[in-house]
Amino acid sequence: MPEAAPDTSLGFQYATAAQQRETVTLGMWAFLATEVLFFGALIAAYFNYRIWFGAEFIAAARMTKVVLGTINTGVLLTSSACMAMAVTTYEAGARRTPVLWLTGTATLGVAFVLIKGFEYSLEYQEHLVPALNFDLARHGGIAEIFFMFYFCATGLHALHLLIGIGLVAWLATWIGTGRIDRSGSTVRLIGLYWHFIDIVWIFLFPLIYLAGRNG
Amino acid sequence: MTGGTILRCWLALMVLLALTTGIAFIPLGEANLFVSLAIAATKALLVLIVFMELRASSSLIRAAAASGFFWLMIMIALTTADYTHRTDQRAPIDIVR
Repeated sequence: MPEAAPDTSLGFQYATAAQQRETVTLGMWAFLATEVLFFGALIAAYFNYRIWFGAEFIAAARMTKVVLGTINTGVLLTSSACMAMAVTTYEAGARRTPVLWLTGTATLGVAFVLIKGFEYSLEYQEHLVPALNFDLARHGGIAEIFFMFYFCATGLHALHLLIGIGLVAWLATWIGTGRIDRSGSTVRLIGLYWHFIDIVWIFLFPLIYLAGRNG
Repeated sequence: MTGGTILRCWLALMVLLALTTGIAFIPLGEANLFVSLAIAATKALLVLIVFMELRASSSLIRAAAASGFFWLMIMIALTTADYTHRTDQRAPIDIVR
């Protein structure tokens, strides 16, 4: 009787595929926990600045572009829904449908970055970019601190999103050409990363764009 | 996760986005910050539970997911407690010196 071919997709240290699946998921969450603290440090700084500088700090937040920010939040939340659809259809065994959803996810991600870039260009014209052309006499030092936070937080977020767009594009190509290992967790893990970027933005949005809107 | 669940979750997120943006323009004083953060937390929970599948995950995964936010709460609480209680006045021991 011929021996059954060994399951190459299962790492030698795992007893079952379910165990491997849970282990890699746990690893991804451990990475995401470090990311929570990474962005969390910036948010902790924001709260302290807001307590120290009060009204002046909040007034600076009013100079951000609330319409573009709100549109971008909608774009990113929708991209996350597309990502969830991609994971669901992929795990159901489909090949073409997840590629379409992933294309939607990446396209919305690119749209977000383009809108963000347009916003940055408007802020450049208004002399709001610290270290580049910030107009201290016109906007004041506390506004400069706010915009320092703004560019650090949104810049790092955009960097994460660009990495995410690259991963999603790679994933769509690999699923489309059938090169992906169907028993692996790659799709789900990249999905978790994408949703995490979404969560970061969910918290940045009210802190940056909604502060001081009724003052 | 089914398509219907994802659609309902997306609709809820859109409604919450409209709600938080709308409320931001109503003067509520300090409450504006807390309302916007409460809505943000609700949106984040929806993404975590539905999109990130914590609803269908084991307790181990849920605990790992919660740990990052738990440590973040400690970091924010201790940092804020430090900075908000700093003063220009000298401590009694420094006056004696």
